[in-house]
Amino acid sequence: MSKVVGIDLGTTNSLVAFVGRDGPVVIRDGSGDALVPSVVSLGAGDIVHVGREAERRLLTDPLRTVYSIKRLMGRGAEDVRDEAALFPFRLSGEAGGVVRVGLGDRELTPPEISAFILRELKRRAEEYFLEQGEFDAEVDRAVITVPAYFNDAQRTATRDAGRIAGLEVLRIINEPTAASLAYGLDRRRSGTIAVYDFGGGTFDISILRVEDDVFQVLATNGDTHLGGDDIDQLLVALVLRESGLGSAIDPARLQAVRRAVIRAKWDLSERDGTVIRVEDPGAADRAGPLFERGLSRDEFERIIRPIVERTLEPCRLALADAGLEVSQIDEAVLVGGSTRIPLVRRSVEALFGRPPHADLNPDEVVAIGAAIQADIMISGRRDMLLLDVTPLSLGIETMGGAMSKIILRNSTIPASGTEMFTTFVDNQTAVDIHVLQGERELVGDNRSLARFKLGGIPPMPAGLPRIQVRFQIDANGILSVSAHELRTAIEQTIEVKPSYGLTDGEVERMLLESFEHAEADVAARVLIETRNEAETVIRATEKSLRNPDLAQAAAGDLAPGELAAIESALADLRAAVTSNDRAMLEAKTKVLNDVTRHLAEVMMNRGVRAALAGKRVDGV
Amino acid sequence: MSNETRTLTLQSCRHCGAGAPTEVHFCPQCERILTLTRHGDYFSFFGLPRKLVVDLADLDLRFRRLSRQFHPDYFYTASGQERVASLERASYLNDAYRVLRQPLDRAEYLLRVEGLPGVGMHQDAHELPAGVLEEMFALNEELDEIRAAREAGAAPEQLSARLESARRPIEERAARQEAQLEALFQRWDKQLDEQSPRDVRRATLESIRSLLQERSYIANLIAAALREGGQS
Repeated sequence: MSKVVGIDLGTTNSLVAFVGRDGPVVIRDGSGDALVPSVVSLGAGDIVHVGREAERRLLTDPLRTVYSIKRLMGRGAEDVRDEAALFPFRLSGEAGGVVRVGLGDRELTPPEISAFILRELKRRAEEYFLEQGEFDAEVDRAVITVPAYFNDAQRTATRDAGRIAGLEVLRIINEPTAASLAYGLDRRRSGTIAVYDFGGGTFDISILRVEDDVFQVLATNGDTHLGGDDIDQLLVALVLRESGLGSAIDPARLQAVRRAVIRAKWDLSERDGTVIRVEDPGAADRAGPLFERGLSRDEFERIIRPIVERTLEPCRLALADAGLEVSQIDEAVLVGGSTRIPLVRRSVEALFGRPPHADLNPDEVVAIGAAIQADIMISGRRDMLLLDVTPLSLGIETMGGAMSKIILRNSTIPASGTEMFTTFVDNQTAVDIHVLQGERELVGDNRSLARFKLGGIPPMPAGLPRIQVRFQIDANGILSVSAHELRTAIEQTIEVKPSYGLTDGEVERMLLESFEHAEADVAARVLIETRNEAETVIRATEKSLRNPDLAQAAAGDLAPGELAAIESALADLRAAVTSNDRAMLEAKTKVLNDVTRHLAEVMMNRGVRAALAGKRVDGV
Repeated sequence: MSNETRTLTLQSCRHCGAGAPTEVHFCPQCERILTLTRHGDYFSFFGLPRKLVVDLADLDLRFRRLSRQFHPDYFYTASGQERVASLERASYLNDAYRVLRQPLDRAEYLLRVEGLPGVGMHQDAHELPAGVLEEMFALNEELDEIRAAREAGAAPEQLSARLESARRPIEERAARQEAQLEALFQRWDKQLDEQSPRDVRRATLESIRSLLQERSYIANLIAAALREGGQS
């Protein structure tokens, strides 16, 4: 059996875990390191490096090294204009289209970059399984986590990344919910918990009720652009300001500054003071640092306080949406690397009025939860169940540019909603629908998900058609739309143009491009072979039945009714030949084969006799 | 549930063709999850009577049990047909849970399945009880004046005091309505238990509807007043 894994695809680091015989295991490299830095770099000869090596190359080849790609997932070219200045790598893309990242001379989409990271995790897991002596070490299915507050476009982009990496994405699940599953496995008790997940690039808060081993998310909130990255940027700005290196700093030095402040940040989680020391990446070994300055924890906390405070408002909103008071929260759980910062811990403690739990490694707990979810979906165990919610309301544009909500935020998923549409002009055969996600009243303030054209409406006077459009959010939090006209029951065609995503065709193409060998779909191939076999038998039978000698043979050599049986079996197989049911096709082919065997013998014997007869004539 | 309202239609299993009552979720014959075709209503889906007073702890428990029965996570390796059935059934369950958990949504839903026109549609000022309109006009006028006063630069404390007193009678009315609704909900449940005549029950539903109608009208006004308050 090929393997299934759980993947935490993080802004800064990614991890892979699986559930073995003895429970969940985080997969590590030879040196015991579980974290794969989410960095992709294009080396000499266009070799793609991922992880630690790519991270090292941030200093030596910053223009060809991409990091924090998660911040760009599911976003449009114009969305990231402000952010583009912060990244040394090239960002492009047409207005209204998906953002593209320059890597060497290629322009790749964020899902393609993420797919490199996923492939590295897949490779790492396969290597591990081989070392464990597994017979089938292939990893072909995964649960991948996303921030709870990711919108439809960001989730879809993540799923696309999985597909491009050659993984069947079993489920996209939310990071805080995954963490709660890992904690839940650990203790098994009921109650209301708040999961505070502060990672490298995103912040989430989820309020869950755990009862009967059902993990039911009551409300979620967050900010997909708030994380440790923002803290780093504040410190980088401080160093640039004080050092006089300025904004025209070259990319390699900028990375050196970034690395120095990150190290100082880590230090301050353990100590009361540290030194920011920026080495010059271009200078000789013994050269002095480019910049050096002491940083106390107090000063650090003053600098980052606004960022930490930005996490508190989403917490209050989530509590309000869950209809709960702070006092009703039984436990608060910390997830994500940024929760190691003492100020973050103190703030969470102050908000929830109790010390938060951080017993499990905050870097690893999400991947463990993802692995448990993958195991639940594949192994048939039913001991636990996640019930998650959609973080944002879903709606459509109405006349006047307002948003009409169809599925409200914090609805348990899967969820659905229907909306009636009609026409405004006589004989109108199509209606345009603009789907949005967000909480604001006006269309422009919300996220545009897709524009749909409802086509194939039968021509009728204006206002008469009644087109029911059904919006379905699946358990991944991803939307699909279907429609039909109620008067005529005609199923409508829908053309989907994702506002900031890839079409299925594009994903397919990227998958092919990314693979040297496209994996042959075995089932499809076997079906095609079976169908070819059926067609061969049909053709041979038809040929026998057209043989001018048939009538004579039937009179002399065939049993009564034999011909009728053949014709009926032939008709049967002809009707089945386009079916996708391989077993049935095989069975009917066999029936026709069997029933014609005698006829074939008869015809062959007659042919032989005729040939011999002819020969005799000729030979005379 | 009274026999009268019990639905007797059947759904059929797409897998083995066996028939099943609309309120069951799995085929009695082959035990596969049933495709959501014919179904009863949100109440019967949960195995509940069409009552308006609902024990939320019991509803939560039923919700978790049903979720465990047909959540898509548990059908990933099943046939395509079962996967679709699980998605649709889980979706319907979640939608039903959301509505039944909120008393007002629950009541509005009951009106709909009992064949009454929707609340908020065909809104007619004549349907409102005497005094409400006058109260609303007074409030609107007062809001206009407050708005004008703010634009003229009146002190915020003074404005919020005026707003507060303008809001009070409306909020008191809302509280009275709440109590009336509660009593009507109980009356409906009792009539259902006692299998009261259809027209008697219908009258209860009509009363509920007109209260909800009035309430939604007033809720809009309160929301407007709150918006004003938020700005001052």
